[in-house]
Amino acid sequence: MLETDKLTKQFKDTIAVDDVSLVLKRGESVGLLGPNGAGKSTAIAMISTLMKPSSGDVRLNGKSVLKKPDDMRRVLGVVPQKIALYEELSAYENLKFFGRLYGLSGNKLEQRIEYVLELVGLADRKKELVKNYSGGMQRRVNLAAAMMHEPEVLIMDEPTVGIDPQSRNHLLETIRKLNRDEGMTVLYTSHYMEEVEKLCDRVYIMDHGKVIAEGTKEELKAILSDQETVLIEFDQNYPELFKKLSEIEGVQHSTIEEQSLKLIIPRGTRMLAALFHEAERYGAQVINVNVQTPTLEDVFLRLTGRKLRD
Amino acid sequence: MKAVFLLQWRRFYRKPMLVLAMFGLTVIFVSVTAAGGQSGPQMTPVYADESMSELQAQRWLERLNGGDQFQFELMAESEARSYVAEGDVSQAVNLLETDYRLLVGREDPARFALDSFLRRIYSEELRLENAEQTTPGIRADMESSLADPALTLTVESLQGEDSFQYNGQLQLLFGMTLFFVIYTIMFSLVRIVDEKRTGTWSRMIISPVRKWQMYLGHLGYSFLIGFSQITLIFLLFRFAFGFELGERFWLLIAIAACYTFSIVALGLLIISLITKPQQLGAVIPIVATGMAMVGGAFWPIELVTNEILLAVSKALPITYGLQALTSVAVYGNGVQAVAMPLLLLLGFGSICLAIAIRLMEWRSAS
Ligand SMILES: Nc1ncnc2c1ncn2[C@@H]1O[C@H](COP(=O)(O)OP(=O)(O)OP(=O)(O)O)[C@@H](O)[C@H]1O
Ligand SMILES: [Mg+2]
Repeated sequence: MLETDKLTKQFKDTIAVDDVSLVLKRGESVGLLGPNGAGKSTAIAMISTLMKPSSGDVRLNGKSVLKKPDDMRRVLGVVPQKIALYEELSAYENLKFFGRLYGLSGNKLEQRIEYVLELVGLADRKKELVKNYSGGMQRRVNLAAAMMHEPEVLIMDEPTVGIDPQSRNHLLETIRKLNRDEGMTVLYTSHYMEEVEKLCDRVYIMDHGKVIAEGTKEELKAILSDQETVLIEFDQNYPELFKKLSEIEGVQHSTIEEQSLKLIIPRGTRMLAALFHEAERYGAQVINVNVQTPTLEDVFLRLTGRKLRD
Repeated sequence: MKAVFLLQWRRFYRKPMLVLAMFGLTVIFVSVTAAGGQSGPQMTPVYADESMSELQAQRWLERLNGGDQFQFELMAESEARSYVAEGDVSQAVNLLETDYRLLVGREDPARFALDSFLRRIYSEELRLENAEQTTPGIRADMESSLADPALTLTVESLQGEDSFQYNGQLQLLFGMTLFFVIYTIMFSLVRIVDEKRTGTWSRMIISPVRKWQMYLGHLGYSFLIGFSQITLIFLLFRFAFGFELGERFWLLIAIAACYTFSIVALGLLIISLITKPQQLGAVIPIVATGMAMVGGAFWPIELVTNEILLAVSKALPITYGLQALTSVAVYGNGVQAVAMPLLLLLGFGSICLAIAIRLMEWRSAS
């Protein structure tokens, strides 16, 4: 329902966003992953009609929003990276204002405030001033404010930065619920791998303003390698067994570490049957088998040679 | 627009201190200072030394007490000095044969008025004496023709350029009110800059609300808070403190509205030029104090003689605001007399507004 076409933004001396084409289908949960300065926030500013692109286009249901931003503004909710609230006001007063901006009033407005506060778990503290909230609670109000007008698409710019684990889990749960249960389309920006892995069906990875990879989580991980690592732990060291196992067809590399054996094999090799068969023959007891698949973190490392976070 | 406007009042309700402080400062300043000088002319001690005879001194005194602006009292030098030393009066006059000296105890804006009054009387008197030397009897002739004029000419001024009358109470009230309200208005407008910094502005931009509605919400609030401050202060001093504000109170309120508009517009222009909140914190007091000083909020503009300052004052809205208020309240003039300053205020405001909006649009587009 939402797409960007070769979106580019050039500041005086930097190209913050370079030829970025994203697609968001209805009901999808898409991750936008990238290190600091990758251009995520700038891309979001352009998608949300806050900033004019240097070139390229943003389309909602096939129609460009650059000249006519009204449709986009009605259906889009944006959770900004910075907490953008009136901190001298209460959570309730903030939500009331943001609801009014979208033309809500009266009973409907009150009900929506109640619902959204319930959603972020702040219903019982709505009268407190935002400046007296903890960082995590402020983040939750920051999300709630973007939810007031029942947006069809929700864009979140690193909504969990600087937040305690409890609030973070609450927030992630909330977003998951919105996406799964209410069919809200979500674009989730982060440089936390685990969050994106947990929440998103599809991921775009950005670096230096460019999309350097995209796909489902599995597709992306497949980029990394056609190999997997199998770590087998035994009750003790069996030199002969270990030697035998290392010679099973397809094993590319093996390392012995006291009573464990690490094998590197092509992805999809079926070797567990052979493993247990041999172990039984030697009377050895397998304590643990661990097949390690690459994380998105590894993918990023592989693609850029850098870590997502330092 | 309504949402943005109402929000500002909510924020005022939550954080009213700054506005209340400006209101309170005006009231305290005016009431405390005005209480020092009771209404009606204050007594000014006059003394002469040996160079002048008792009779001469008496004649000068009569001449001086001819107007009703000041009330002079002849006394011994020592007595006059002790009045001044103890601060009972701000100044005393030392009469000399062809000149006078002022003995000044403390700064008092009334001194300028006193000085100009004395200068006028002295130069009239000396000219008359000169004339008498060549044409004896001219004084008597003049006095009789003044008492029985051959022709009566009534002069009504359109611009309120009557001979300078000084009403310390109202000068103080108008000056301080128009001065402190600049802070109230401009600091309300700083919210726009703050919103751009915290990101709530962006939140509004990406909502269906239009940008002009956002500005109008803010400007409307700033106007109303400033206008209310002036109106409440005028009401307070008229009814609670019993200040004489003339017959046309509604005209004072209309002037307040025009003045507020011009300051709101000027504030927006400043904000469009200076976008860093910290810098604004410094610029606003400078602008407010500078305008107030040059524009005649601290002392009457009539006493400024420096050509440059006078020229600058012509470009400041506060000058016209004060001029119009004084014209109505002190000189008792009507609408025609203040039409020009009001038009200038509205024109000034419109120009500032136009430039400010252009600047902001240009900035946000780039
Ligand atoms: N208004 C601006 N003027 C000039 N350069 C800018 C501006 N906004 C962003 N940039 C530059 O554009 C690049 C991308 O910034 P952006 O904020 O989009 O990155 P990001 O992916 O959101 O990073 P982070 O994870 O730190 O939020 C950065 O190099 C930044 O310095
Ligand atoms: Mg960012």
